[in-house]
Amino acid sequence: MAFYEENPGQIAQADIVVGIPTANEAGNIALTAARVDEGLSEYFPDMRRAIINCDNHSSDGTREAFFSAPGKASKLYISTEPGSGGKGRNVRNFFEKARRLNPKAMVIIEADIRNISPVWLRNLVTPVLKGAGFVCPIYERHKYESFLSNSIIYPLFRCLYGRRVRQCNAGDYAFGPKMLDIYLDPPFRSEMVDNSGADIWMADLALASRLPIVQAIMGAPKLHRVRGRFADLPVRFAEAVGTIFDLVQVNDTYWQQVKWSKPTALSGTDLQEVETPLPPADVSPERLHEKFIEDFDKYYRLWEHVYGPIVARKLQEIRSIGLQHFSFPTQTWMTILFDTMVAYRGMSISERKELVDGLLPLYVGKVLSYVKKAWRMSLQQAEEYIENECMTFEENKPYIIKSWTKGEKG
Amino acid sequence: MSKILVVDDEEHIRLLYSEELKEAGYEVITAESGYKLLEKIEEEKPDLVVLDIKMVDYNGLDILQDIRNQFYDLPVILSTAYDTFKEDMKSIAADFYVVKSFDLTELKKKIAMALETRLPD
Repeated sequence: MAFYEENPGQIAQADIVVGIPTANEAGNIALTAARVDEGLSEYFPDMRRAIINCDNHSSDGTREAFFSAPGKASKLYISTEPGSGGKGRNVRNFFEKARRLNPKAMVIIEADIRNISPVWLRNLVTPVLKGAGFVCPIYERHKYESFLSNSIIYPLFRCLYGRRVRQCNAGDYAFGPKMLDIYLDPPFRSEMVDNSGADIWMADLALASRLPIVQAIMGAPKLHRVRGRFADLPVRFAEAVGTIFDLVQVNDTYWQQVKWSKPTALSGTDLQEVETPLPPADVSPERLHEKFIEDFDKYYRLWEHVYGPIVARKLQEIRSIGLQHFSFPTQTWMTILFDTMVAYRGMSISERKELVDGLLPLYVGKVLSYVKKAWRMSLQQAEEYIENECMTFEENKPYIIKSWTKGEKG
Repeated sequence: MSKILVVDDEEHIRLLYSEELKEAGYEVITAESGYKLLEKIEEEKPDLVVLDIKMVDYNGLDILQDIRNQFYDLPVILSTAYDTFKEDMKSIAADFYVVKSFDLTELKKKIAMALETRLPD
């Protein structure tokens, strides 16, 4: 339950409910709320519409800015208690409030999107009203954007859950009442989910839900605040990856039955591409290489122990190559990810932390390898490269099932 | 026996695909355009569709969206003479694509994979 609630219109029911999670977003929320309202009014004029600001008790005037936004939809404000942060806590409050409004469709959209377009609401909400369980957006992305998705989330989810959902960590989603039931009574929740693991948790549960999934083409990049590449990377990485590994255990009966992968239906295919410049990619191969080498000796013994002598030797070989010819083979990366999943299951919380911390430099190495390979590639060529990597993951599914089953037997 | 619907406006392609796929053990039905294709799928209930992208009167990528919206999990393999279609986002709704060729090895491989694909009910 939210610690605090303001419902000036005394709204008790709504057909479409949009949640905007915030933590000190006074500078952004009014614009986002106004654009959301425009989208809802334009495309769903006959439906009862509500926008909920789900806040982390911001002290910068977020609440006031939200209520000041122009629009016709009903506005509600809910908040966690002071000192309690995290997007996951905000979305949980949203789920609970949404349940009481009995909506047909719900959307979660981030507050700091500078170029949000009303038509995005149409593309996210319409499939839900037509029966989709979960809708995930596809934003235009630079080839060097979202390395976590390219290297871990997309190949792993596609291989495990059999759905080709390209941007599972987009942070903005739409879903229907059946998905809400799952979010309110989930098979798993954790401190990491309450923080920044929430996005991946929502997508992961949706992919394993057996409900129809749709991807919404947004026709533009998502221009929002860029988080520091290295400053908060360890925490974000640990929470996202830890959440994925936790849910791998929860959903193991499901993913062991999946063979190959399937595409999803699309919405927004009529959308003309909007000429919004892609954000500049701030990538330094030198910095990535330094980071990979820096942590190599620190974690080498752990890697040797978890991944065995063959992978350990391969890692030594990768280190010895040097930056100019640096390459991290997909097969090695896939084996590492699969073996980490299996090892994670049998570990204590502190051991898991060390395991995921130790995966970070290997991930940085994998990112560096991709950056070098994609240097002269067009976006489409880079996408094809990632698609081929995903096929390697799918082709090796028997390996992960065998390792997982062997691990179960101890 | 799995039933495959081949949709292509070129007769020689329909004939080639039909003969080779029948030899490979599939039941094959054909359509020469996208006209009333959804009704045909509803009636014939194929297990997989091989769909030409560039037909005289129809855009295969638009038909693909209609199929995906109405028959959510029906496997669709795009068949094309050019791979420029990949620039169009709509193509990601297909299970696979193949470049048209008289050697159908790749098509048969992709058909087998698409038919093997399994998601829990």
